[in-house]
Amino acid sequence: MSSQDQEPYVAACPNCDVTRQTDDPNEVINFYRRHYRVTGHDIEIEHAEPDLDNAVTANDLKDVIRELEGQHRNGVPMGVIAAVMKERGLSVKQTLDEIHELRMGGGLYEPQDDHLAAF
Amino acid sequence: MTQWDDSKAQAVSSDITDESNALPARYFTGQDIFEMEKETVFGQYWVYAGHANCIKEAGEYFTRTIGERQLIIVRGHDGNIKAFDNVCAHRGSKMVTDTPMTDSGNARRIKCPYHLWTYDLEGDLKSTPKSFEEASLNPDLEDEEVQEFDSKENALNDVHVDSIGPLIFVNLSADPMSLDEQAGVMKDRLEALPLGEYEHASRIVSEVECNWKVFSSNYSECDHCQANHQDWIKGISLNESELEVNDYHWVLHYTHDEDVDDELRIHDEHEAQFHYFWPNFTVNMYGTADGYGTYIIDPIDTNRFQLIADYYFEDPELSEEEEAFIRTSRQLQEEDFELVERQWEGLKTGALSQAQLGPNEHTVHRFHQLAQQAYNS
Repeated sequence: MSSQDQEPYVAACPNCDVTRQTDDPNEVINFYRRHYRVTGHDIEIEHAEPDLDNAVTANDLKDVIRELEGQHRNGVPMGVIAAVMKERGLSVKQTLDEIHELRMGGGLYEPQDDHLAAF
Repeated sequence: MTQWDDSKAQAVSSDITDESNALPARYFTGQDIFEMEKETVFGQYWVYAGHANCIKEAGEYFTRTIGERQLIIVRGHDGNIKAFDNVCAHRGSKMVTDTPMTDSGNARRIKCPYHLWTYDLEGDLKSTPKSFEEASLNPDLEDEEVQEFDSKENALNDVHVDSIGPLIFVNLSADPMSLDEQAGVMKDRLEALPLGEYEHASRIVSEVECNWKVFSSNYSECDHCQANHQDWIKGISLNESELEVNDYHWVLHYTHDEDVDDELRIHDEHEAQFHYFWPNFTVNMYGTADGYGTYIIDPIDTNRFQLIADYYFEDPELSEEEEAFIRTSRQLQEEDFELVERQWEGLKTGALSQAQLGPNEHTVHRFHQLAQQAYNS
């Protein structure tokens, strides 16, 4: 596949040399979950929509989600959150772990499956 | 004649010498077929779960999803391996978090995080919290009237489990045929080898865009090797190869030019053996490495499968030669992925209603026959 017809999201496992290209950001999350379940490996987001985090100024996860909510009705896809947090140095696993922590503390809710909004 | 017309799509014949029909294409592409396979294939036959060396101590476990069933494979205090549904007998909660075979968990007890029902490694219910012993919030019930939960009646649902050497298999059926019967001579052959002395050294997992049976069919023959695995076939004498077909497994024997040292080899000189075990497991005995590999060909849905490639060597720390060997194996996988994804693109169009097989694809024919047999069961 040439770079011209590359899908908006590309994720890969550096250990297994497995790549997933998709136009659905949450497919990156599904890919991570399936892959982690059988290998224990984290994955890396290699490429995401270029304009994804232009409007996001926050660094803190909860504030990032709050800012992204303006662009996503009924919750921000977790794949989008993972892609933005990747630019802030977090891996997919680290982002999901932090999301879990926040959700358990009541800071986030899930208006639809794998879409998040902040209180 | 290749059959392009739906009306000619027939059942797979019993005799490849008279008929060369493959399993009709709709059994690969139909969205409803994988749903059927969960019961007729993965719910009926012995399916590989994992390797005993990954759970050597009591309490060590890993999880495995087969069809829609999520299982816990655990080593009991008696040293035996058990398999349970990862479902609490109280209200059906999933209990342990997914744990790959490569990174197994360890627990003295299996505890459900929902209401803390706790089971021993035999699956029996061992304890419930006080809230299940006292009716303090229920004005209509006295404490002494509270029912006691029987540890056996409220045990975890266990699943049939058996082994070939260190290879653990599970069967979801209530009354399965024996693993001995399904494995046939493969069991004797593999148990004659010191497979248990080898340790898990590497796992590579790949998600591939095609139906699992397309990859399985490709694995089962080597007519495509000359054109598509050009690096690999340099050391192989394809003309001296043998394809052996048994009831539920088939073996591709290849003769290698080179071999590992005699002291290290765990199988016949100059020979590589690739065993396919119905429905979705392979054991790969390489001619050029002192070790072996396994593939699990796990369907994700109709259009995708996951290939789990495991490698076993005497020492889990890979030598440079072993790393190079795994890279070569990975190259073969990549070459095959390209082939099967291309085939899948064509099959999905619906243009071909039934493929035809060549005389050296009798191994593939056996695979297709078993699929049809399962669908008709």
